Amino acid sequence: MAAVKRLKRVAAAQPGFISFKSSAGSDDLNSGQRKRVNKNKKKNWNKHSDIQDVEEFLDDVRLQERATGGLISEKPDDSLFFVDIGEQRKYVQPEVQEGKKGKKSKSRPLRIDLILQHDSLVPPPKDILAHQQPNAKKLRRIAENAAKLAAMGVLPRRQKRLLNRRPAITASKSKTAANNFPDRPYYDLWGGDAKETADPYYLEQTGKKRVKRPEKLNSKPSVLPAVEVIAPGGSYNPDFFSHQALLLEAHEVEVKRERAELRIERQLAVNRDDTATEETVFQELVEGLVEEEEDEDEEEEDVSIRGGLQQEKKTEKERRRERADKIKSQQKQAARVFTDKKQQLFQLRSIQATLKRGEQQTRERVAQRKANQEAEKSMPRRLGRLRFQAQDLEVQLSDEIPGSLRTLKPEGSVLKDRFKSMQKRNMIEPRERAKFKRRHKVKYVEKRAFREIT
Amino acid sequence: MGGLQKKKYERGSATNYITRNKARKKLQLSLADFRRLCILKGIYPHEPKHKKKVNKGSTAPRTFYLFKDIRFLLHEPIVRKFREYKVFVRKLRKAYGKAEWTGVERLRDNKPGYKLDHIIKERYPTFIDALRDIDDALSMCFLFSTFARTGKCHVQTITLCRRLTVEWMNYVVTSRSLRKVFLSIKGIYYQAEVLGQLITWLVPYQFAHDHPTDVDYRVMATFTEMYTTLFGFINFRLYQTLNLVYPPKVTQYLDLTFSCAQQKLSALSASLARVVATAEEEENQLDLFPTEGEDQENMQAREKEQKEQEAQKRLFEGLKFFLNREVPRESLAFILRCFGAEVSWDKSLCIGGTYEVTDETITHQIVDRPDMDKQYINRYYIQPQWVFDSVNAQMRLPVEDYFLGTTLPPHLSPFVEEKDGDYVPPEKLKLMALQRGEKPVQEDEEEEDEEEEEEDDDEEEDDDVDDEELTEEKNLKKLEGTRAQGKTLAVKVTPGKVKPWETGSVGNKVRLEQEEKAEEKRLAIMMMKKKEKYLYDKIMFGKKRTTREVSSLRCAPAKPTRPSLRPFACRWR
Repeated sequence: MAAVKRLKRVAAAQPGFISFKSSAGSDDLNSGQRKRVNKNKKKNWNKHSDIQDVEEFLDDVRLQERATGGLISEKPDDSLFFVDIGEQRKYVQPEVQEGKKGKKSKSRPLRIDLILQHDSLVPPPKDILAHQQPNAKKLRRIAENAAKLAAMGVLPRRQKRLLNRRPAITASKSKTAANNFPDRPYYDLWGGDAKETADPYYLEQTGKKRVKRPEKLNSKPSVLPAVEVIAPGGSYNPDFFSHQALLLEAHEVEVKRERAELRIERQLAVNRDDTATEETVFQELVEGLVEEEEDEDEEEEDVSIRGGLQQEKKTEKERRRERADKIKSQQKQAARVFTDKKQQLFQLRSIQATLKRGEQQTRERVAQRKANQEAEKSMPRRLGRLRFQAQDLEVQLSDEIPGSLRTLKPEGSVLKDRFKSMQKRNMIEPRERAKFKRRHKVKYVEKRAFREIT
Repeated sequence: MGGLQKKKYERGSATNYITRNKARKKLQLSLADFRRLCILKGIYPHEPKHKKKVNKGSTAPRTFYLFKDIRFLLHEPIVRKFREYKVFVRKLRKAYGKAEWTGVERLRDNKPGYKLDHIIKERYPTFIDALRDIDDALSMCFLFSTFARTGKCHVQTITLCRRLTVEWMNYVVTSRSLRKVFLSIKGIYYQAEVLGQLITWLVPYQFAHDHPTDVDYRVMATFTEMYTTLFGFINFRLYQTLNLVYPPKVTQYLDLTFSCAQQKLSALSASLARVVATAEEEENQLDLFPTEGEDQENMQAREKEQKEQEAQKRLFEGLKFFLNREVPRESLAFILRCFGAEVSWDKSLCIGGTYEVTDETITHQIVDRPDMDKQYINRYYIQPQWVFDSVNAQMRLPVEDYFLGTTLPPHLSPFVEEKDGDYVPPEKLKLMALQRGEKPVQEDEEEEDEEEEEEDDDEEEDDDVDDEELTEEKNLKKLEGTRAQGKTLAVKVTPGKVKPWETGSVGNKVRLEQEEKAEEKRLAIMMMKKKEKYLYDKIMFGKKRTTREVSSLRCAPAKPTRPSLRPFACRWR
């Protein structure tokens, strides 16, 4: 109570004190009659003395302290008032917004937390107990004891237990950074192999064991080198003859392409003989009106003769003769073969020669096949719907050759070169870009506003 | 007769193959996912020998996979991740549709991802296997790193590719393993020898892109995803072999933020930090074993080769270059640094320039414009082709062919190896002669001599070099003057030149060797059987014919320096 009274006195003594609720005090003063009570008892003091104004005053003081961090009357004028210049406000706003934006994207505090937040400007009272330790003497003694033990090399039990504990597995759900993270760390991948300590059977059964990569997969699908160096004619400042050689090569490619185009054109061209002339048109009109009788008659006769012959039966005599003829011819044939064989004895040389020739041929074929197979290893295979199509040769014409490095205009695209090289080495199959197909027809409608103008 | 009737297409090749669609269904993946999986795992389609049998009697063209390959794919843990991702996308779309933003956020936080490390390990069991297959990865990463940041591929991928390629270039610079360079109209071809493997890659010119429409970007991105993983691991290992810090750090700026350090690195002008700070790499020498006869000869040959290589590695050592702003900075800086030169450029051009144009100690300035306003007297102004040609020739070529404003000699491809009897361009012949140490026959012998001397000894004092260069400059000016006056001065009395093999003991030795060889060959021919002799004669006849043709080709045309005729004029689409 005494403190309250003192405060009131102090505040009242100050001339510049402005109360937040000025009306409350005046009401109290103007209230009518006073009640008379004995003031010799402490109970009555509490009951009947009017402390409303004091409490209101104190409330006001607390409110001021909470809201502004001190009594307003004590504050300097600069902190209370400011000169209103329009622009200054603008400076403040973006800062706030930025802060908000940044926070919003990271973590906005929950509303409940905001409500519970301490928003008074009055600093919390210092906790005196924080600086005073209970049982300080005991603690000191314990510390001294521990120091003595440590000097002797005896570890406390808790520490011992800590040391004995197995190290926890540190890899606890660490986020995997993206593979293209520019700062990503690398390590010695082929360094000391971490040996598998666990039971191989266990690993296999639980699916933790890596399946061994088949050896065959490590062979490359083509023998071509990864980077094929351009021909010497492709130098930025080429030697005359190598440049001409490259031009010739490019020229041949182009000629071949043109020939293919021409061939298609030729195939598509209309044949002169197929077009109708007056003569053929007339022929068509007359078709069927004039009969050709002679041909038909002859054909009929032929058919009848043949049929008649086949149907006649052979006589016994004929059969006998036939059989005899057959046997005779067989004998003749056998005799022929026999003499031939005899004769072959004298042909030994030529036979040997033919045999040799045959062998030579097979050998050549084998070699050819082998060579073809070798060549095929460096050829692009047919891996899908499309065939591999080589890139256009990069060539600069004679008048395009730059005089110096500064004026060089690079030809072709390295990206395309890489892409085609991969296709050529059978690493990816040639594909074409999917064509955009519109499902429904687009309907064009002129908007009314637009139509009005036009 | 008992037994079941044999059915068609139930055994043999029909069961060894599976069509793409069936495989896709077996794995329960969408076509895009299936293709991605196949690329990542290195499983390629296969063309069967008898398509009709495999295709169950149909002749429709289809894509086939080996059935065993697909069965192997079934065990891949990534397949499950793909399915998870599919579900994730579905959920996300639903959340978007319902405008559940917190749900979207939660889903995004738990986006499923996958790692490719185990696949790389599986596909390349040893480091050397991986290194052999790096050509593709290099070309692809270099290509992607030059892409503009348009929507064609993910920006992160581009950044990662850039980082990896910069690391690679720094490795090549530090290990000095570059061998060949070829400027083509397509891009720049490089060849390096890393741990005994010849690695070739293609780098596109900067700003040369028009995005072709008939390339499947998704497929390329998948390949790149795999290759970046592979490439990173290889880089790590390579850095380890050189005792370098990985990720690489520039020695002067050990404590920088990532992006800044990245820029410094990509400038290629500073050396890298090592794990153990050693002074310099000690000369690695071949171990010597007591050997006899043929082995010894081999050994000597090998030693000689190694010496040559060492010399090649120090090709530009001690030279100081300055790059003008119109030359391709990155490739030139890369090449020059690979051979031990110091390089700098204008401060406004790129970060990392170490000295100014005004530096007096600069020996060569690389220029690619018709002429310069302000020229310093004590340095050569040469065109960039000199650097590339010198690297390919494995020696410092005479600079006068490459001076400012002169017409350049042709840039020959170092990747062509002529068999004897093939047509060899005259420029190459000249070059080979230079390599053998013969002096090119020209009007003014004295200057050539000086040139040679200057090239031979590298450890000259700066002052001497300056003086000599001064005099040379004057001489050259004089020479140009005489040339400008016309060819009237060509008739000139020159001191008689003594042929090299008649004077020095070195020449004698060479000649003796040659004679010995010829004798041996003649004897061998004499010892041949009749049949072999016939064959030999045939071969020799063919060779002679080709040489005759070539020689006719060589002397027939009065070759124009810059071919301007258009014999095969045809336009390309």
